[in-house]
Amino acid sequence: MKLELHAEWTKLRTLAGTCWALAAIAVLTVAFGAAAGAATTCASARCNHDAVKLALTGVQVSQAAVAVLAVLAITGEYGTGMIRATFTAMPRRSAVLAAKAAVLAGLTLVAAVVGVLGSVLAARLILPGRGFTPEHGYPLLSLADGPVLRAAAGSALYLTLIALLCLGVATAVRDSAAAVGVVLGLLYLFPILIRAISDPGWQRLLVRISPMNAGLAIQATTNLDLQPIGPWAGLGVLTAWAVAALACGGLLLRLRDA
Amino acid sequence: MESNIEVTGLRKRFGAVTALDGMTFTVAAGKITGFVGPNGAGKSTTMRVILGLDAADEGRVLIGGQPYRALRRPLRHVGALLDAAALQPSRTGRDHLLWLAHSQGLTAKRVDAVAGQVGLGAAARRRAGGYSLGMRQRLGIAAALLGEPRVLLLDEPFNGLDPDGIVWIRDLLASLAADGRAVLVSSHLMSELQGVADHLVVAGRGRVVADASVADLIAAASGDRVLLRTAARPEAMTVLAEAGATVAVTGRDTLTVAGLAAERVVALLTAHAVPFAEVAGHRATLEEAYMELTRDAVEFRADGAR
Repeated sequence: MKLELHAEWTKLRTLAGTCWALAAIAVLTVAFGAAAGAATTCASARCNHDAVKLALTGVQVSQAAVAVLAVLAITGEYGTGMIRATFTAMPRRSAVLAAKAAVLAGLTLVAAVVGVLGSVLAARLILPGRGFTPEHGYPLLSLADGPVLRAAAGSALYLTLIALLCLGVATAVRDSAAAVGVVLGLLYLFPILIRAISDPGWQRLLVRISPMNAGLAIQATTNLDLQPIGPWAGLGVLTAWAVAALACGGLLLRLRDA
Repeated sequence: MESNIEVTGLRKRFGAVTALDGMTFTVAAGKITGFVGPNGAGKSTTMRVILGLDAADEGRVLIGGQPYRALRRPLRHVGALLDAAALQPSRTGRDHLLWLAHSQGLTAKRVDAVAGQVGLGAAARRRAGGYSLGMRQRLGIAAALLGEPRVLLLDEPFNGLDPDGIVWIRDLLASLAADGRAVLVSSHLMSELQGVADHLVVAGRGRVVADASVADLIAAASGDRVLLRTAARPEAMTVLAEAGATVAVTGRDTLTVAGLAAERVVALLTAHAVPFAEVAGHRATLEEAYMELTRDAVEFRADGAR
């Protein structure tokens, strides 16, 4: 496993796209969080916004960059045929997938932490000017505050789990375009369905099983009792998706010819 | 570990197509074994099965007595060149070798040594996407040599090489075999292997059509036939037939004699005072031997004639 980790680390590190994708994850998280903050105003004490969730909005955009990075980490090898060199050098395919997952998760987590910290910092600078003031019930965002820390750390974990989910799907699908399609469908189809369906029972069910909606419950800091799923339970649902996708990809990797 | 490859009874189907149909052969140490056959004969599939990339439906492959997937740090036992173009274009040649090295517990020092050995030079630090076919082939060879393996598998290594490159690979293969390594080289062109291979495994329709030394194959195709030119055709035929030869008339003054060596033919004719103008051993080229063996195995020709 140590050799597989070393090889996969060297592989990902020497790919030109990796740096750009990691930068995009951090920048998109901060930029869209800041933009969402700047576009929202809180006029009164009852404005009913979740300032923490608002500050971390960028995660919903940067997850697309995470998806692309994760998908290409494996389909880039299938597309060129280099996967054969990989499995010739490292015949233990599950170990290769595990090493890829570990390296990818590590890098994504670093970029995500940078993005999330930047988002909190941007929110501290922007939100008070948009009416998110202590008078309206919004103290300055601080990571020393339990729910804020949970939402911020959870958002970084969310992006990491998205990376693992996408790696698993891409390993099963093998083709770049198809994998990106499946992954984005999996992420964005549920929110669209939830909005299109009027029955509240079905809505709650879909939120609970949707990797994106359930996963993002980790960002909620207000009206927690009204949410369809709790913060950590929601992240648990996404974890289950990621584990299932990796298990499925790993199984197919063992069964299929390379 | 022993340096050899034992391929035993491989069978594999892709849907309705039988790719391998009982492929069996051994690659011995210290020799270059040519693996030839028309396109679609199952050469590449066999190589992928040897490397554990494809699973055979039946049969097994042992490398030095072990299945490939059981090898720890396999590139230190087996070096392979499958498809030199199978690279991620944005990575430099050196970085490509570097991840391979790291996967085997080798260091950058070994990478630079092997890059120098194949003459990659300064190009090693350029992106592999910009390499010529010949450069990629050299990079692929470097990857195969990286772990100083005792067994080498090269699938069509001459493809896309200029004459200098072909000479270079021939010399390299010869020196690798001289070191006692087992070398398997596939090609769909017999001419590429003439003067290179010591032993030949000829594949056709997923199985081995012939497995023999190059010398034996040529002798078999030549069939110990002797070409005789003589004005006294009937007399010659009588004398030779009495000595047990099969004689066939092939022209107004030519005969083909089978079953007697050229020296014996000369001795018989001289003893019976039969005049002759020429006695020559008929010697097939490797190409002819190959065409003879694979005539039934060529799928494309049959399909194309329909």
